[in-house]
Amino acid sequence: MNPAILAIVVIFTPLVAFATAMLFCMKAHRIAQGLILGGGAVSVVGAFLLLLGGPSETQSIVWLSSGSLELSFGFMFDGLSLSFGAVVALITFLVQVYSIGYMHHDPAKTRYFALLGLFGWAMLGFVYAVDLLQALIFWELVGLASFFLIGFWYEKPSASAAARKAFLLTRIGDTGLLIGILLIINISGMAHIPALLDAETGLTTMVSEGTLTLLVLLIFMGIMGKSAQFPLHTWLPDAMEGPTPVSALLHSATMVAAGVFLFARLHPLFMASETAILVVLCIAIFTALMSATIAMVETDLKKVLAYSSIGQLAFMLAALAAGGLLAGILHLILHAVFKALLFLCAGSYIHHFETNDMREIGRRGGRRMRWTTAGLVIGGASLAGLPPLAGFFSKEEVLASLSHGGYHLIWFLALFAAFLTAYYTFRMVFFIILPDRPLEADATVHDSSPVILGPIIFLTIATVLGGLILGPLAAILLLDVPHHSLLSMLPAILCALAGVFVAWWDFGRSRATRRGFVGAVPVLHRLFSRKWYVDDVYQAVFARFIQLMATVLHRVEVDLLDGGADRLADVTRWTGGWTARLQSGWVQAYIASGVVVVALAGYFLGSR
Amino acid sequence: MGIPILSLILLCPVLATAAVMLVPAGRDQMVRWISVAFSLLALILSAIVWMAYDQTVGGLQFEEIVPWVPAVGITWHMAVDGFGVLLVMLNSLVWFTGVLTMWSLAYRVKEYFAFMTLLVVGVYGVFMTQDLFLLFFFYEIAVVPMYPLILIWGSTRKEYAAMKLMLYLLVGSALLFPALLAIYHVAGLGTFSMVELGRHTFGIEFQKFVYPFVYLGFGVLAGMFPFHGWSPSGHVAAPSAVSMLHAGVLMKLGAFGILVVGIRLLPEGATYWAPLFAVLAACGILYGAFVALRQTDFKFVIGFSSVSHMGIVLLGLNLGVLGVASADAFNGAVFQMFAHGIMTALFFSTVGYIYDKAHTKTISDFGGLGSQMPRAVTIFIIAGLCGAGLPGLASFWAELLVFLAAMKTYPILGAAIVAGLVLTAMYILRVFQQAFFGPRNPKWDGLTDMVGWELLPRAILVAVLILFGFFPNLILGLIDPTTQILMEGF
Repeated sequence: MNPAILAIVVIFTPLVAFATAMLFCMKAHRIAQGLILGGGAVSVVGAFLLLLGGPSETQSIVWLSSGSLELSFGFMFDGLSLSFGAVVALITFLVQVYSIGYMHHDPAKTRYFALLGLFGWAMLGFVYAVDLLQALIFWELVGLASFFLIGFWYEKPSASAAARKAFLLTRIGDTGLLIGILLIINISGMAHIPALLDAETGLTTMVSEGTLTLLVLLIFMGIMGKSAQFPLHTWLPDAMEGPTPVSALLHSATMVAAGVFLFARLHPLFMASETAILVVLCIAIFTALMSATIAMVETDLKKVLAYSSIGQLAFMLAALAAGGLLAGILHLILHAVFKALLFLCAGSYIHHFETNDMREIGRRGGRRMRWTTAGLVIGGASLAGLPPLAGFFSKEEVLASLSHGGYHLIWFLALFAAFLTAYYTFRMVFFIILPDRPLEADATVHDSSPVILGPIIFLTIATVLGGLILGPLAAILLLDVPHHSLLSMLPAILCALAGVFVAWWDFGRSRATRRGFVGAVPVLHRLFSRKWYVDDVYQAVFARFIQLMATVLHRVEVDLLDGGADRLADVTRWTGGWTARLQSGWVQAYIASGVVVVALAGYFLGSR
Repeated sequence: MGIPILSLILLCPVLATAAVMLVPAGRDQMVRWISVAFSLLALILSAIVWMAYDQTVGGLQFEEIVPWVPAVGITWHMAVDGFGVLLVMLNSLVWFTGVLTMWSLAYRVKEYFAFMTLLVVGVYGVFMTQDLFLLFFFYEIAVVPMYPLILIWGSTRKEYAAMKLMLYLLVGSALLFPALLAIYHVAGLGTFSMVELGRHTFGIEFQKFVYPFVYLGFGVLAGMFPFHGWSPSGHVAAPSAVSMLHAGVLMKLGAFGILVVGIRLLPEGATYWAPLFAVLAACGILYGAFVALRQTDFKFVIGFSSVSHMGIVLLGLNLGVLGVASADAFNGAVFQMFAHGIMTALFFSTVGYIYDKAHTKTISDFGGLGSQMPRAVTIFIIAGLCGAGLPGLASFWAELLVFLAAMKTYPILGAAIVAGLVLTAMYILRVFQQAFFGPRNPKWDGLTDMVGWELLPRAILVAVLILFGFFPNLILGLIDPTTQILMEGF
């Protein structure tokens, strides 16, 4: 079958399901649910058929042309699109299945499922896009779906505030991205990705390195917004206001990974600029460390996971920037799997206990939900980078690419971040499985329903076996599988184990203080629990600045422009009133003014 | 010459006005049906014109030339190019949906529809005529009915708003009329035909002198910063369908006038002044967005957003004149006239609905309205997202093209207005959050959501926004040939 037709089916089936559900099924929840799941299933089958078909030629048509702008619409079928497309379709479908159980009692189910369909369409459209503008369009639509899903429970003020914040912060990044793309179109006259990447005729041959640095950094602004990198990361923890399956799908596994995907897509451009590489590495490593430190003191289960997503996305970007294309993509895909698993487990707890506080979940018997807990432990071990789970392989590749690239300081800091990751992950695990007081015999704790457990079990298995995809992935990406000696893996393994051990020392053992080692340094503890004051700075500086500008200009409008016009009108009215007084019916005044006029006229005429 | 289809379209509102005035008092339903019938007819005829317009040739088509006052060279000269076709369509759409929006009006229905339809006559005339005198004539016909419409059927300081609007626009006309007469006299051709005047090359000093009169005269109507003061208060005071026509098409008359009189007849004057006016337009874009952030009334937010969005049209026109990326700029400007027209019509139509039910337009009076009026809120959100330049809705393409030209001509200025998109998102999201999201306000539990025919006008406008959001080539194909011809003048 022609891959383009298959791609159209994969991408547009969710759209059809979305439109049908929104227009005709607002009351018929079951039908809407069925439609969206059906659409999701079609996408999965199609995406895997595409993947099995292997890489093939890019296909595109001209969508519009005007002056210097020519937009093509089409699909790329290289290893990157095919592999990530399959992952996106699969996780979307799993989350849809899970949502049947999770959203069972919600009265607005149709809207929820329809929005998942909208998301599926936008995300898949982005992944296969062949043109930068086409990618941008779907990128924005993904953001739109995210906005509506974060604010799904819009009656909660915190949810609608989080939705707005997510939209605005990603919009700030997107401004850079849009400017970058417009400049690229103006310079090269095109936005067709394969043509731009061409080594002989592409963008790198058209511009100086300085210009290229500017261009890729502008694009990187968009990536920072979407993939929640410092300083545009603050929306992602707030986005946890959305339903948990949404957090699993959008805000950890797929949507936030879109930024990393775009980086991988434009990898050759970034590689051509030394400065850009350094900037990306610095931002990424700082983000990784900062997010890990915040996660260390956070007690909200979903927020810990959100900060870990920020950190892992930073790892991917660091690997890609250091030249490790395979490492970055591998971590992108495997992280999607095990992070979705972790969020689905978190959702299973939250659905049951109706709290996000992981200490409370542990105290009330979270560990009695056996399947969920098994998923959480395996997912957590994978996030911590323990062998032989998926996360171990990908994190190992990430670290190896940093040291191969010669960025030893960054490598060292990344190791430290990996240690912190293992630490806070197992802090979370120990809070849940080893609560600080003995469990009461509570018969009401039972594991979730099969629709919730099914996706969890599937992803658990995928997390255990995930490392096996390294070979096939390298093959489809046309890259070599690197070989690492056991010795070179040792630091990473030791860091992970050390993290787990310290976490056990602080939170797991029976005499543990459960304060964590940061608690010993109050300054740091405050810094971390106030999230490094980034939000406060935004509030104090940017928000206030914009408000001030708005107020000043509002005064200009009311007092100066409107007020000025009104004064002008007053002058006219006043002049009119004054002149009208001349018509007083007082004959002497008429004569007097007549004399004055004649005298003036005589003077002017006489002087000529 | 075939069927004079343009005159037929123009005849629709003329006949509608006459018929409405002949209806005996008290037969309101008949007035409504007459209006809807004629507006539907005009819509169908406009669609036929769009289909029949030969896009491969471009240029003026469907010409009708009948001498009217030969002594001074006034001719009944009707013809449309790609721009005209698009804007005639815009007017038809807004008229039709506007009539449907005002269906439930109960106060002095007959007079209302008579005035509103008269306004439509003027707008059609301006978009179609190729005669300078007729253009001014129709322009005034379009402007004058605004006064009674706001004064009688308006709200919120309506006397003030109506007077202010009238004075601003008449000052604009006062600048315009001598400029048009000067063009007529200096050319010395003894004709008002814009086609023939367009062939005449005016002296460069004359062009430099007269162009600002034309630009400012028309610019006032286009909501040009800093002479936009009439527009937000006028929007707020006017009844829904008048706001729709006012922001949807009337403001486009100003931009259209600048294009066909200023830029086409006085290209060198336009080039001379373009940098200044481009900067002013860019200021207007950012200024409108900032001021919109502070508004507490729904309609004021939309009013200032119109100042901001019309700034994009004006910026596009000026960038087009500068010639670095003319095609993108002109296409973007004209596309934006259409997209913004549909978008604001949708805005005002929906706000009008909410106002009719709740009798308030103050944003903070609401909160959680999404629970009570999900359909109205969804439609407003679509319009808002269009305003924020979201892909998949028509405005995106218009803004993209203008931004592209801006980045090419003045990179710093371009980057600043692209960054202004964040402000747009801010004021739109603020409205969403304050009015539609948040806890349900029990005060509004009794409000009924849109049903059946009430959805029709809004659904049509939403469909148009989405259609051209995904298939922008339908519009670009129509206007690009005309843009190419326009660019030959530079």
